[in-house]
Amino acid sequence: MTASATDILPTDQSIGDISRQLTGIPLHFPARRQWWIAMTIAIVLLVLFIVSVIELFTRGVGIWGLNVPVTWAFAIHNYVWWLGIGHAGTLISALLLLTGSEWRNSLNRFAETMTLFAVVCAGIYPVLHLGRPWYLYWMFPYPATMGVWPQFRSPLEWDIWAVLTYLSVSVLFWYTGLIPDLANARDRARRRGWQIFFGILALGWRGSTIHWSRWSRTYRIMAAIAVPLVVSVHSEISLLFAASQMPGWHSTLFPPYFVLGAAFSGFAVVSVIAVALRAMFGLGNLVTRDHLDVLGKVLLATGLMTGYGYVFEVVDTLYGGNSHDLQTLLNRTIGAYAWLYWGAVVFNFVPLQLLWWRIVRRTGWALLLISASVIIGMWLERYMILVTTLYRDFLVSSWRHYTPTFWDWSTYFGTIGLFLVPFLLAIRFIPVISIFETEKTLLDEQEARDG
Amino acid sequence: MTTLPKQWTSIEELAGDPAFAKKIAAEFPVAASFPPTARRDFLKIMAASLALAGLTGCEKSPFVAGIPYVDQPESALPGVPRHYATAVTLDGYAQPVLATTYDGRPTKLDGLPGHPATQGRSDVFMQAAVLQLYDPDRAQSPTRAGEPVTWTDVGAMFSDQRREWQKDGGKRLRLLLSQTTSPTLVRQIRELQSQFPAARVHLHDTSGERERIAHAIAAYGEPLDLHYQLDACSVVVSFDDDFLGPGPRQLLNAIKWAQARRRGDVPGIQLHCAESIPAATGAVASYRLRAAPSRMPHLVETLAARLGVVGASVNDLSAEERRWLDRTGAALNAAKGRALVTAGLGTGAQTARWVAQINETIGASGQTLKLTSPVADPGVATASLDELVIDMNTGQVDTLVILDANPVYTAPGSLDFASALSKVKTSIHIGLYRDETGHRGTWQLPLTHDLESWSDARAVDGAATIIQPVMTPFYDVRSRHQIMAMMLGRDQAADESVRKTWRDAFGESFDAKWQQALRDGLVAGNAPEIQATPVSGKIEPAPPGADGSDIAFRLDPTVWDGRFANLGWLQELPKPLSTLTWGNVVAVSPAWAREVEVENGDVLEIDIDGRKVSGPAWIMPGQADNTFGLWLGHGREQAGRVGDGIGYNAYSVRPAATPWLAQGAVRKLDRKETLAVTQLHHRMEGFDLVREVSVASPTLPAPSPQPSLYPPHPSAKNAWGMVIDIDSCIGCNACVAACTAENNIAVVGKAQVEMGREMHWLRIARYYVGDVETPRSYFQPVPCMQCEDAPCEMGCPVHATTHSPEGINQMVYNRCIGTRTCSSYCPYKVRRFNYLDYRYTPEAPAEPVHNPDVTLRSRGVMEKCTYCTQRIQAAHVAADKDNRDLRDGDVVTACQAACPTRAIVFGDINDPDSEVSKLRRSGRHYALLEKLGTRPRTTYLAKWNDGSDDEDDRT
Amino acid sequence: MTQIFSPTADTWLRLAVVGFLSACGASLVAAIGFARSSYVTSTDIAPHQPVPFSHRHHVGELGIDCRYCHADVERGPKAGLPPTATCMTCHSQIWTHAAMLAPVRQSLTENKPLRWTRVAKLPDYVFFRHDIHIAKGVGCVTCHGRVDTMPLTYRARAFTMQFCLDCHRDPTPNLRPADKITDMTWKPAGPPRDLGARIAAHVGIRSGELTHCYVCHR
Repeated sequence: MTASATDILPTDQSIGDISRQLTGIPLHFPARRQWWIAMTIAIVLLVLFIVSVIELFTRGVGIWGLNVPVTWAFAIHNYVWWLGIGHAGTLISALLLLTGSEWRNSLNRFAETMTLFAVVCAGIYPVLHLGRPWYLYWMFPYPATMGVWPQFRSPLEWDIWAVLTYLSVSVLFWYTGLIPDLANARDRARRRGWQIFFGILALGWRGSTIHWSRWSRTYRIMAAIAVPLVVSVHSEISLLFAASQMPGWHSTLFPPYFVLGAAFSGFAVVSVIAVALRAMFGLGNLVTRDHLDVLGKVLLATGLMTGYGYVFEVVDTLYGGNSHDLQTLLNRTIGAYAWLYWGAVVFNFVPLQLLWWRIVRRTGWALLLISASVIIGMWLERYMILVTTLYRDFLVSSWRHYTPTFWDWSTYFGTIGLFLVPFLLAIRFIPVISIFETEKTLLDEQEARDG
Repeated sequence: MTTLPKQWTSIEELAGDPAFAKKIAAEFPVAASFPPTARRDFLKIMAASLALAGLTGCEKSPFVAGIPYVDQPESALPGVPRHYATAVTLDGYAQPVLATTYDGRPTKLDGLPGHPATQGRSDVFMQAAVLQLYDPDRAQSPTRAGEPVTWTDVGAMFSDQRREWQKDGGKRLRLLLSQTTSPTLVRQIRELQSQFPAARVHLHDTSGERERIAHAIAAYGEPLDLHYQLDACSVVVSFDDDFLGPGPRQLLNAIKWAQARRRGDVPGIQLHCAESIPAATGAVASYRLRAAPSRMPHLVETLAARLGVVGASVNDLSAEERRWLDRTGAALNAAKGRALVTAGLGTGAQTARWVAQINETIGASGQTLKLTSPVADPGVATASLDELVIDMNTGQVDTLVILDANPVYTAPGSLDFASALSKVKTSIHIGLYRDETGHRGTWQLPLTHDLESWSDARAVDGAATIIQPVMTPFYDVRSRHQIMAMMLGRDQAADESVRKTWRDAFGESFDAKWQQALRDGLVAGNAPEIQATPVSGKIEPAPPGADGSDIAFRLDPTVWDGRFANLGWLQELPKPLSTLTWGNVVAVSPAWAREVEVENGDVLEIDIDGRKVSGPAWIMPGQADNTFGLWLGHGREQAGRVGDGIGYNAYSVRPAATPWLAQGAVRKLDRKETLAVTQLHHRMEGFDLVREVSVASPTLPAPSPQPSLYPPHPSAKNAWGMVIDIDSCIGCNACVAACTAENNIAVVGKAQVEMGREMHWLRIARYYVGDVETPRSYFQPVPCMQCEDAPCEMGCPVHATTHSPEGINQMVYNRCIGTRTCSSYCPYKVRRFNYLDYRYTPEAPAEPVHNPDVTLRSRGVMEKCTYCTQRIQAAHVAADKDNRDLRDGDVVTACQAACPTRAIVFGDINDPDSEVSKLRRSGRHYALLEKLGTRPRTTYLAKWNDGSDDEDDRT
Repeated sequence: MTQIFSPTADTWLRLAVVGFLSACGASLVAAIGFARSSYVTSTDIAPHQPVPFSHRHHVGELGIDCRYCHADVERGPKAGLPPTATCMTCHSQIWTHAAMLAPVRQSLTENKPLRWTRVAKLPDYVFFRHDIHIAKGVGCVTCHGRVDTMPLTYRARAFTMQFCLDCHRDPTPNLRPADKITDMTWKPAGPPRDLGARIAAHVGIRSGELTHCYVCHR
């Protein structure tokens, strides 16, 4: 018997199988080898990160390729990039939860997990970026003996609050969603250690009706809070640039432009992880081709919207006709860093067009490659936005190029390790796919089928 | 007048205290490198100030030692600066200065107000002299073959020598002098010759003063100094004479130039300049002609012919040259009595003679040209360096005394002085450093720095200054007069011989006059004017253009002839037109670069009759074709930790016969060097960064008001503002050097400058407009604009940069956490960031030179121009203490004080009568990037375009 | 299936959560308090001195004016520690053999300064000037406390930026007539604000301009 067109999960599987399959992943882990290979790479990168940070704190940000005028580069650029990635998880989950799109249930868990660690990577960068990081706490309002407070007109000050709020809400949202599964894992755990571990995390969940009703209310409220946050946070990040007067930054286009770009890169990462885990844990029955198909569509949609941003940025400049903005536009398109601009355009939008074809969307490896290209493209875009504005701003006499040093790169790749290590641990020790939610979806579908 | 030696007696012991010495060592890494004797003296000097200042602020324990005097002198007032009038020297000429000292430690020099030769203004060398005082690489005690000896040994050596000299009246004794104007030294040299009549004195000067006098002799038949009276001119014509460029005469010329330029509502003086290698003078010229040096004689003779000088014949000229000569001839004819023609070194004797004739014809002499007997006169008949080398090689020299010169490095390569020196039995080098010559000499006797010497010298205008020490020497060194006295068989106190000279001069009431002279830093009276007429008679026609290319030699605009090579401040000072730091280049013309496919940094090999040197190319817009420029003063080997091995040594290919212009070949090597330049892009790209007005339309359009979301800041009584007159700026860098000295600007070194991390708070932006062959050049000093609606203030998350009620963007280092947002948001990019800890780099200035009123910035903090806020606060305190308002001129910023052309004016824009307010009402007044609505407090006066592309010319 | 947790586990968990949160709050308060403690501001600590000099005796009992020893206070930025010679003006006459004063005599004979330990010290990025404060009517006691009651000298007030700002924002309550500057016991007759306002007007204090950064930091 086959699934009807509306079904996203094959209905010919029993609920018990699913929960056994999913809770089984942490308890007796499949694909140990791949996991260890991935983990080794991750750890190497993490070590690289630690070394870079030690060097950074001992010698100062001068180890990077920064100069005047380019006082912002890799640190801010990767910060924005990571934060962008960190948007998909919550967006998918919350938004689709509210719109009641059932297919989300197979994706939200690891999407949210990914979000958390991406945001952590993002959150680290502003600290590394500081000339005197040990005074970071001056950015927080507290009754200081100096009688001085933070400067609340500064986009950086807004930034701190935006990111911290987003991080905490994401954590809560993720954890709330996790509770029933933790209980499930607790009940299936055999060893005492696991039982206590999951037991405490499950907060004594018994799955009673009252639990369920309270839980779903909480979960939806959190989602309702999270969605506007996703938008506000990245809009705020964009103000880091738009609030200045620099040519190429000073534009009302930036907030939506950044939010869409964030979602775009985020969904790309989700797709990559979806395809990877699907292959790694043989979850074909839960993350089905239909899921990939939907992901492909979302990716295409957000991509096209981002593309609109590109187009409008040019139109805006030409229409505005400010000589300095035009200068910057030229620097971007034909200047020393033109490869960044065109690189971003190519990586972001050219492979993307393949997603118009259903077959491509439904082919794992194709989706994976396209998503990877998008991730690179978005990285180039953030680089481009920062450097092409700063290296040639208003006064010709201060124009100067920027070249990243070894430490720029090592810090960046290091953060990838910082992201992978906890993420791999997470998929190792907690259910990667929301058990009860998939079960619920399946149940509904089966009922629908049996009529 | 100084009473310093007395002051320090109270703390000698303190200096000996080991615990304290340890603290000093921590505070002054420099001191650690001193030999014991010098170290003790140094500590002695430093002790009081340090002790009272509290050694350092970052001590772990909250309770630090407080060390008072045992017996505090009346004059000592800890933390309050005292000022002394004295002088430093450049090429032997006095640069009269007012030295600012804190607790006995000089930290800043400014031109001496009221002195005719400086009028309170300064140049880069004067500003940097104080850094040389503390140079840890100075020779710190006498040495014999490199081994430290005592001055007693030196005394013994001299008495032995004297016995030798007496045998044959000093026949085998030679004295090699650098250029000097010191009456006392002249007296001592005379005395030496009277004691040893057979001894010969040779003169070696690197700066071309001898050639100047030789030209004067050729033109007027007697040795003369030519003093340009630019303030009396309305037309000046320069043949490759960079009289506004660096050198002892720059200050005086620039001051007078600016006076003339500002005469009336329209430019009061026009400059016609035929120039081979672009320099300051050509950059400000109204009509500039690109011409190879070897063309100058032809051009000047043709000009003479047009002005009807007898015997002058018209040479064949290019259209470009003819056009320029037409205009120039007409201008001179129209301005007889108010015009002046000048010729530079390397243009040859014929040029000098034609110029003299022309000046006679246009009635310059007495009006715009003042002649005096040479200010720099050794007082005895002297022979040249070439003759000395011949005698040395032929073994006629047993004892060679080299006084304050470094011939092994600075002698033309063709002489090969080093090998000649090795043939001398005893060579005694007397100098500030144990330099190339000092290392090869038998004895090296360290000199005191001018700021720790009793001496005297004359300024370029002939006025004498008695040089008094502003601190006791902290190395084991002696002044040149003490050492000369030893040669004369006496052992004298530092000031004795100087006093003797002036006792003779002043006659009765010596003490009063002496005190007066010390207080004023000036002895009344200067060189008397001389009436001289050009020698008549036929002037041989200029030789036809020789084969090979013209290779012109120039002294480096920042390290001069190499004597300042170890001063980080000067090495890192961007050179006027190229903005190059840390090194020298070979300037080539754009056309040649295109032809040979040379880019900036490609290494070129210069070959002058067989001697070769190679250096990186620099394509100089506006440079004459077939002409190459080499800069002397780099490629030092024994300069010290900062100056060694930077750039190439152009002396090595310098011909002794024609030291300023040679013929040679240039070829491209396939190597490339990275050049540390501070400005990479020089075209204005069609932006109106530098604006121009012409006589036809002398006012700029009024700016449209820019709306702002923020309410205007309430203003205090004083609102500070600055106006910079682009028309007056000659790009001399004095302001940048002064800012560096005043505000403890870090020296970051070549590598960091290459990365774009120089720390100068004030940069002189340089732009070219027009085609690369004959561009118009502009200098635009860019300090912090102190915007009233400042993007930086809005960006900082921690209130580290805020707005003061007097309208200054305050940068608070100790609050800064280094987000660098302010710099990202700054449209003018005037902020500088401490990417690394630049306080203790190898190139960093010695600690004692730092201004104690300005914080040393640590790693990770932003910094920028503060309008010299420490001076503003000091003025406020002074005014508040006697409860009065500030007057215009109470606050003078370092850059403003230094500027020789008074292009920078600072003051209170709330006071309608202040000079700055008046300038802000001028028709030439405009704000940089005013469309951004930042409302800068630092604004500009547009440049007068009275040159080649104004209306009358286009028709 | 056996129970993993005892029935009280929930309670414990709740307690743990509450405890954790209150601990966070408490530590925050503690940190803020610590920053103001005399340990950090190093007030009320009389460090060791080569000579146990008593301000109480010299100022309180003998009534020697502050400026007799701290002579630069009106002329320059630093009040100045008295040179040995100043001590000896009296102690060459009285207590000439007191053991307590041996270091002073030694300092003079050996021409080697006394090494006091500074009690009032500001960070080196603070550019404080005594002379202007004296000129504008800020008394010694305002910052240095009742020195005349200190047998051994200690820092009476915490020199935090807040402390400076309070007065720079509103100097009036702390101003006194010029002849009362060094008076340790002087109290204004009426309400301090009225007198202060009059003095401020008279000496021309630039109120509102004293709080901007460059007044103290450069």
